Amino acid sequence: MGLDEPIPVQYGRWLGGWIGKGELGRSYQDGRPVLSVIAERMPATLLLVSISMTLSLLLGTAWGLMLAWLRLTDRMRWLEESLVAGSLALYSIPAFLVAIVTIFVLTGVSALHWIPVFSALDLENKGALQALIPLALIPALALGLPRGAKIALFIRTLALDEISRNYVTMALAKGSSYSRVMAMHVLRNCLVPVVNLLALSLPALIGGSVLIETIFGWPGMGRLAVEATFGRNYPVSTCLVLIYGTMVVLSNLLADLLSIFIDPRLKDGLSGQGMTLKQGQL
Amino acid sequence: MSRYYLIPIFLFLLFIMGCLISRSPDGVLVDLDAINLKPASPGHLLGTDSMGRDVFTIAALGARTSLSIGFAAALLAVSFGTVWGALGAMSGRIIGSLMMRVVDSMLSVPSLILLLAFSALINRPEFTNHLPTIVEQLLGISNYSLGLLPVVSVVSVIAATSWLEAARIAYSRISAIRNEEYIEAARSLGLGTLAILRRHLIPNARGLILIQATLLVSDAIVMEAGLSFLGLGLGPSTPSWGSMLRQAEADIFFGNWWAPLVPAILISLTVLSVNMLGEKALAPPDSSSRRT
Repeated sequence: MGLDEPIPVQYGRWLGGWIGKGELGRSYQDGRPVLSVIAERMPATLLLVSISMTLSLLLGTAWGLMLAWLRLTDRMRWLEESLVAGSLALYSIPAFLVAIVTIFVLTGVSALHWIPVFSALDLENKGALQALIPLALIPALALGLPRGAKIALFIRTLALDEISRNYVTMALAKGSSYSRVMAMHVLRNCLVPVVNLLALSLPALIGGSVLIETIFGWPGMGRLAVEATFGRNYPVSTCLVLIYGTMVVLSNLLADLLSIFIDPRLKDGLSGQGMTLKQGQL
Repeated sequence: MSRYYLIPIFLFLLFIMGCLISRSPDGVLVDLDAINLKPASPGHLLGTDSMGRDVFTIAALGARTSLSIGFAAALLAVSFGTVWGALGAMSGRIIGSLMMRVVDSMLSVPSLILLLAFSALINRPEFTNHLPTIVEQLLGISNYSLGLLPVVSVVSVIAATSWLEAARIAYSRISAIRNEEYIEAARSLGLGTLAILRRHLIPNARGLILIQATLLVSDAIVMEAGLSFLGLGLGPSTPSWGSMLRQAEADIFFGNWWAPLVPAILISLTVLSVNMLGEKALAPPDSSSRRT
C-alpha cells in the first residue's frame, strides 16, 4: 500500500490516481475504488438529509407563522411566551439526543411498536432505496426537529418585522384578505433569509446525520465515515471529507441562486442588505 | 423575551457549581447487586445504571469532565484562532488571503466529519506510543492506564475543528480597524507590529471573541458528547456526559431510561443556557431600526 513512503510521495500518488484513473484511492478494507464505495452509500444519506430539510422547513414555517399570529392577537401572552421558550429549548437539544429519546419512547411504549424505527437494510439490491423511504421518517424527524425550531423562531421574528411595514397596511387597506397578504407578501419576503439559513445549517445537518445514522443503523455515508474512522481506512476518510465539503459548497451556491429566484431584486447587487447571514448567527 | 425562564438556568448553574466545588468521591463504584435501581431509591437519588453505578455521582463527576473539556477546548481554539486571524490580517495581502482560504476550506467541511478525520489521525498507535517521556509523565500515562491522554486528545481534536470561526472574526475585525488613524499614530511612534497587535488591535476585537468563546464552550460539550457516544472519545473509566450516553445502548436493553436521560437533560440545559446568553449578547439593540 506504500504507507512507508514519504508523505509527499504518497500525496503525489493519490493525486496521480485522481488525474490519471479518476479514482481517489482504494479502500483498505476490500480494495475497491473509494468513489464506488461511497457512491453506494450516498443515496441513503441524500434521502435522509433532504427529507429532514423538507420537514424542518415545512414544520418550522408553519410553527413560526403560528407563533407570530399568536403574538399579533395579543391574547394568551403566557401561551405565546411558553411556546417561544419551548422552541428555544427544542433548538438547544442536539439532534442525537432527540434521536435517543425518540427511540426510548418508540420502543418503550408498546402501543407505538408498529412505527418502524431501525433500518437494518443494506443497499446491495437496487430496490432497497424505495424501501428506505418510510423508514426515513423517524430519523429525519429526529434530525430536523431542532433545525425546525430554529427556523420557527427565525420566521417569527422576520414575520413580525415584516407585518409592521407599510406595504402590509397598504395591501390590507386595498382590501386584500389577511391570509392572502400573509401568503403572497409576508411569507415571500421572509423566505430569502430562511433559504440562506437552511443552506448555512446544512453542515450542521450533515454532521448531525453522522450520529443519527449510527443511532438508527441507517446505511448511509455518515455510518461509513464512522466505520472508516474505526477501521483506520484513511483513503475513505479523506475522500469523505472531500465529498462532504463539495456538497456544502454546492448547496451554498444553490441557495444563492434560489434566493435570486425568490427575490429578483438581489440580482442587481449580490451583496445586498438582507442577503448575507453570518455563520455566527446560527 | 421575559425573565422567568432564567430561573431554571440559574438553578442549573447552581448545580454545576456544586459539582465543581464539592469533594470528589473516590471514584465510581460498580455494584452489581444494585443495578438498574429506579430513581429515588434509598441511597441513590437518581437511581443506578446498568453497571450499578450511582447516576447522580457520575453525572456530577461528568460535569467536571465535560465542562473542563468545553472550557479547555474553547480557550485553545479561540486563542489559536485569534492569533491566526490577527497574523493573517497583519501580513501582506497575498499571505493573509491564503491563510484565510485555509480557514474557508476547512469551514466548508461539516465539523463532525472533520472531528472524525482528526481523531483518526490523533488516535493512531504510532502517534500515541511514541510520546516523549516528559509528556507521558505529565499526563500520567503508565503501562496500565492511559491517564489523561483521552481527555487531551479529545480537547485537541475539538479545538482543531473549532478555531475557524474565531480566526474569521479576528481577521475581519482587525482588518477593519488596521488602517485607523490611532494605529498609524502608534506605528509612527515606533511601535512594532506585534506590540500594536497586543496593545491595540486584539483588545479591540476582544468583545466579539469572548462571545464566540462562550458559544464554543457549549459546542465543545456537544462535540465531546458526540465523539464519546460514537466511542471515539472518553471511555467508561472517565465519566463524562458523553460517556454516560455511550452507556445508553446497554441501558435501553435493560429498560433503564433514567440513566441516559440525566446526561441528555444536562447537555441540553448547558446548550440552552449558552444559547440564551448568546442571544442576549448578539441581539441588535433595537431590531425595528434595522430597516428603514
